[in-house]
Amino acid sequence: MTATLLQTLLNGLASGGAYALFALGYTLVFSVLGVINFAQGALFTLGGYLTYLLMGGAIGINGALPGLSLPVGLPFWLALLLAGGGSALASLGVERVAFAPLRRQGAEPLLYLITSLGAGVVLVNLLQILMGSESYAFPASALGSWPASVAIGSARVRTVQLLLLAISALLVVVLGVWLEKSRSGKALRAVAEDATTAQLLGINSTAMIRLAFAISGCLAGVAGGLVALSVSISGPYFGISFGLKGLAVLVLGGLGSVPGAIVGGLLMGIVEALVPTEASGYRDALAFGILFVVLLLRPRGLLGRPEVEKV
Amino acid sequence: MPAPPTFLERRTTGAARLSIGLALVIGVLAVLGRSADVAHKPLAGAGTRAPLPIGAVLALTGNANVYGQDQRLGLELGQTWARTRTVGRPLAVELEDGGSDEASATAAFNLLIRRGVLALVGPTLSQQAFAADPIAERRGVPVVAPSNTATGIPQIGFFISRVSAQSSVIAPLSLAEAARRDPDLKRVAVSYAQDDAYSTAETAIFQRALAAKGLHPVSVQRTQLGDNDFQNPIAAALQQRPELIVISAQAVDGGNLVRQLRELGYRGQIVVGNGMNTPNIYPICQQWCDGMLIAQAYSPELDTPTNKAFLRLFTERQGGGLPPQLTAQAFTAYQVLFEASQRLQARGALEGLTLADARLALMKELLAGRYDTPLGPIRFRPDGEVIQQRFYVAQVKMDGTGRQGRFALVRDQEQP
Repeated sequence: MTATLLQTLLNGLASGGAYALFALGYTLVFSVLGVINFAQGALFTLGGYLTYLLMGGAIGINGALPGLSLPVGLPFWLALLLAGGGSALASLGVERVAFAPLRRQGAEPLLYLITSLGAGVVLVNLLQILMGSESYAFPASALGSWPASVAIGSARVRTVQLLLLAISALLVVVLGVWLEKSRSGKALRAVAEDATTAQLLGINSTAMIRLAFAISGCLAGVAGGLVALSVSISGPYFGISFGLKGLAVLVLGGLGSVPGAIVGGLLMGIVEALVPTEASGYRDALAFGILFVVLLLRPRGLLGRPEVEKV
Repeated sequence: MPAPPTFLERRTTGAARLSIGLALVIGVLAVLGRSADVAHKPLAGAGTRAPLPIGAVLALTGNANVYGQDQRLGLELGQTWARTRTVGRPLAVELEDGGSDEASATAAFNLLIRRGVLALVGPTLSQQAFAADPIAERRGVPVVAPSNTATGIPQIGFFISRVSAQSSVIAPLSLAEAARRDPDLKRVAVSYAQDDAYSTAETAIFQRALAAKGLHPVSVQRTQLGDNDFQNPIAAALQQRPELIVISAQAVDGGNLVRQLRELGYRGQIVVGNGMNTPNIYPICQQWCDGMLIAQAYSPELDTPTNKAFLRLFTERQGGGLPPQLTAQAFTAYQVLFEASQRLQARGALEGLTLADARLALMKELLAGRYDTPLGPIRFRPDGEVIQQRFYVAQVKMDGTGRQGRFALVRDQEQP
């Protein structure tokens, strides 16, 4: 019984870590702009493909350049880092194309949803043209001589899952410390609080918004690379289901709340792991059902703060 | 002087006029629709050497694209093979992406039927066939399925046939091989995708075959199409200490499942179903694919003239290697349609026919024929089910790189 519980907990935490990482990206953008960036799923997918290509993986036969690969494959860690950087750049591109023009015109928040969704669709289709629709798996040697799985007590977990959890935790801590302690982190929080006042205090709001997009893209890219290593890339629509789950986590934890994204992600992962495998078809239904119940009881999510009406 | 009509009479007369009007409009639309339907026009290109179009709906995108790639190659090789054997009008393939879902396959079927194809090859998945085949059946378009193995596909209707033997014939062979290798086998775990017609049909067959051997699964794990993280079902299954795991899943999902099973320490036998019958699983499960047992409807080692010709074409095209079953079956689907159409043309039986009549004639001819194919000699039952003589059990052998492998023949079996 204890062994089963431990196994379930570890399984849930590993999945939950990826959800948390994903939801954090959403959260950062939401906290500064008050809108959801629907291109986040595409950036996640991009991170997966970039990691694969940078490790020397070849483009499949349905891609635009079949068989093409880098002459030298990079080690996984370096590839993951660069993929995070690539996704951050792409995220900045999304901001420039889908958000900045609307922001300048003071457009309705709903329009940001549409333009970001459009940017995501374009990105996914570009990936489909370039990489084809086939699945891509990482070489078994991606993690060098590390064992494929490790025993923790009576439970056994794949090393890559533990890695996913560890990196998610590390990034969450680094991000939290940066937001709380650093000058730029505080500036970002100030913009999130009130962009106009922050601007009057000498903070470059536009630069902070771009920074939020870059970090959020980087988080999505890193999450994509890690998840792709764990379960392979099933195709260009690989990030869509994670995107939906990330959205649910964002709402569950509380829109714009960094701790909420983490708690929500882990909770979602554990709830999914608790679903008996005989009822795995209802896993998503249960996860979204819990989201529904939480929202009925706490409309602003688990850790969301009530909005103060300013008079 | 007649009394003026009451309100009720006026309403009744109005309703009657409306009904007549609607009936007329529907009638006119029906006549116009019928005259616009290409099926009721004479077969295009009669008296010329213009190719007869057939449609192919293959999964070129989505989760099942790994099958579509193999099948597209099979159709292309079929056309190359037929080039030197054509006496009448050749068959040209119009390929449409059927995606990996029912809606895409249905849309592709509709599109090709509207374009006036003589017959259809596809769709790739049984799940898609249950949605798309009834459309072809209603429109009277012959369908040859190259890879649908679920029970009940040809029984959808007269115009539906397949060259892919159903799971109930093939699947138990690999279980028999696993039992032969471990006569003390007691603990068997089963895993299948519960939202996929092929997987559910095949697992039922596997489980019946297990029951016939007195084996009752110690664990039955149900997954979903498109699942990629199997840590939970694997943990649940491994707690039951299985000696054999039997998997019915599509290639990408199944490849991931096998990889994760091995990574989590499972070292027992694995039997997989037809969904993993493609070399495209090698890059997914890599060295962990090694040792899987699988029953097959095709062996490259079959020594017949057509298979030799097929192997030669494959080698020329790919620069080596051995063709997968799905390529051989797609080749066969093209071959049977080609040969049936050639026989009809040789008798002049397509002359003066409308497209609808030509489709019907082709279907009858298809069912009546006997074919020497890469799968060996085959023919059809009146309901369109394929009758094939030989089946095989293969074991996956991966090379040292863990990225390339082959289905090594373990045993072949003649059907009574």
